Amino acid sequence: MIDITEKKERIESIIRACRIMQRMNKARPDARESEIIYYDMLSNYFTRLQNARDEGKFVAGHTVFFPAEILYAMDIVPMHTETTTWMISLFTGECADLLSAGTALGLASEICTPHRGLAGAFAAGALPRPDVMLWSNLICDNTAKSGELLMEINHCPGFFLDHPFQHSEDERKYLIGELDSMIRFLEEQSGQKMDWERLAEIIACMDRQIELFREICELRKAVPSPFHTQGFLELLTIDYLFPGQPEAIHYLETLRQELADKVERGVGAVSSERFRLMSFFIPPMYLIGFLERISQEYGAVSVTEPFFTYWGEGRLDPNRPLESVAEKSYMIPEVRMYGPLDDRALKSIVGCVEQYKVDGAIYYADVGCRHTCATVKLFKDILNDMDVPMLTLDCDVVDPTFTSEEEMRKKLEQFFELLEDR
Amino acid sequence: MKALGIDVGSLTTKVAVLDGDGTLRFTVTPSGDDPESSAKAALAKHLGQPELNPGNNLYLVSTGIGSRLLRFSQQQKAITTCLARGVHFLFPSARTAIDIGAETCNVIRVNERGRINDWVSHDKCAAGTGVFLQKMAKIMQMTLEEMSEISFHANSGPEITSTCAVFAESEVISHVHRDPPTPKEEIAAGIYSSVVSRVMTLCKRIGIEKDVAVVGGVALNRGLVNILEREIGFKVLVPDSPQIAAAVGAAVVARDNIEKMAGK
Repeated sequence: MIDITEKKERIESIIRACRIMQRMNKARPDARESEIIYYDMLSNYFTRLQNARDEGKFVAGHTVFFPAEILYAMDIVPMHTETTTWMISLFTGECADLLSAGTALGLASEICTPHRGLAGAFAAGALPRPDVMLWSNLICDNTAKSGELLMEINHCPGFFLDHPFQHSEDERKYLIGELDSMIRFLEEQSGQKMDWERLAEIIACMDRQIELFREICELRKAVPSPFHTQGFLELLTIDYLFPGQPEAIHYLETLRQELADKVERGVGAVSSERFRLMSFFIPPMYLIGFLERISQEYGAVSVTEPFFTYWGEGRLDPNRPLESVAEKSYMIPEVRMYGPLDDRALKSIVGCVEQYKVDGAIYYADVGCRHTCATVKLFKDILNDMDVPMLTLDCDVVDPTFTSEEEMRKKLEQFFELLEDR
Repeated sequence: MKALGIDVGSLTTKVAVLDGDGTLRFTVTPSGDDPESSAKAALAKHLGQPELNPGNNLYLVSTGIGSRLLRFSQQQKAITTCLARGVHFLFPSARTAIDIGAETCNVIRVNERGRINDWVSHDKCAAGTGVFLQKMAKIMQMTLEEMSEISFHANSGPEITSTCAVFAESEVISHVHRDPPTPKEEIAAGIYSSVVSRVMTLCKRIGIEKDVAVVGGVALNRGLVNILEREIGFKVLVPDSPQIAAAVGAAVVARDNIEKMAGK
């Protein structure tokens, strides 16, 4: 039997790392103010999670792309399970341990590492035990099954939010019904009532957040592009952990201003911009530092990520908060990859190539993700038609044993030479 | 000024020299533990270049797995860039280059200027590479040349896995030792089919456009090229010394740099 004991020090290690990053940034004369805010926000998020039990707060573990706005409105402490797991993995170097713990549960090594590691993290007690588990099928089927297992491991009740593939009126109504059921479930479990006024405020804030995401994307169209090459990961984290939160607005407004200043001064993210890249999916987290360095070395900068930062059209309406929560789930960039791949996904690639003046694309093909890797050829063909070369990097988003830095360097150098030679 | 290209591979180091009049000379030498000394010795012995100092009327571009070890090279280029240039130099009509080396396999789409349009590499397993064939020949107790020759006599070949070199080895051993043993010519054909299957998977990922050139040390193996042609459905181009394509490409890059410096 696997021992499920909460180990505060794991969360403590994230908090400590965030504070160190903050101190380092404050000491750097060229540090971005937004980066200082970012690490402060992370530190606060995990401090709240760490103290939740002592403060008698109700904790809900939830998987990626789950509407955490509802949790904030109910004064429930959210624990974004994927992000928390991988921050533990990154900051404590325990990736192999978490994956092994997942394997020990009987999960095959072919199962995608984020999910295997997530189960392992709970089994090994690396994550605090939640009061409830919440999960959905947005955006992958692994998540749909993963939640059941996490609920079992944690011996806690759970709720599966069934998100329909399509976006018709009937399906929107169905999703709103699902959200309503989930709220009732949470009210029963936590004994806390939904604060609808608070939810309306959060929706107004989220609407502003989406506007700011769009404005930041607009600024990244500038040549040279002002946002550092792996910066999009910060934007993802903001959306994952702080939907509709005032501190997210503060971060995004600060970042937008910094980028606007750089655009006005004609300053780019890399000292000499040579290659403007489109990125598909998430690069190996353990190589982020290396990727930043090689980007500087070769003047390569990721200017657009169609399925991560390119938000769909539409606005949220605080007067219709639940409908807006549903609507947002159809506006997130990742949703274009959800269910049967349709024209929206392909059109967004074409649109981004033109608008962001893309020279080449990099597809971080996470070997464990059949869902995304199925699109490699399709995307490559579309880009080839537009005379944009695409490099496919077989990798694993968290497992460092799959791809080495040296191997990654070799392939990226070949790709940059290809772009240079054209 | 001479344009010099050196390809430091895992087994052999290839040196190519393009003289001012376009004459190509080359040599192939084992890489050994010290590719720099091997390269210098090869040059001194075969090409009459006793001193390898930049500025000594030489422009040197290095490529390959050990290119970073050649401290005296003026520029390092990716193997794929050099393969594309080399294949274009050797066969200007080639639009697809298949390179099968000791440890890697690359398929490259080359444009009319010798630049890469697209490429794909296989480097996760020895299956489909030269060292795999060496190992198989050893199991068959014959030389690579003998294995190549007998494969022409096979009417068919057993299915041998192309996904894992270790599993493939077990399969070949079982064919050798079964009672009665599978005829050796058929095993040889099966081995080549396994390598070709791996190569074709790569080809399908980026598409094949005529003409197709096959380079790298494995292209010396006539038996394998024969089965590859059967699979592709048309004749491929194989240079007399296919293993030097990347070194030639590096020399072409060096020549282009010399011309740029001269303002041509």
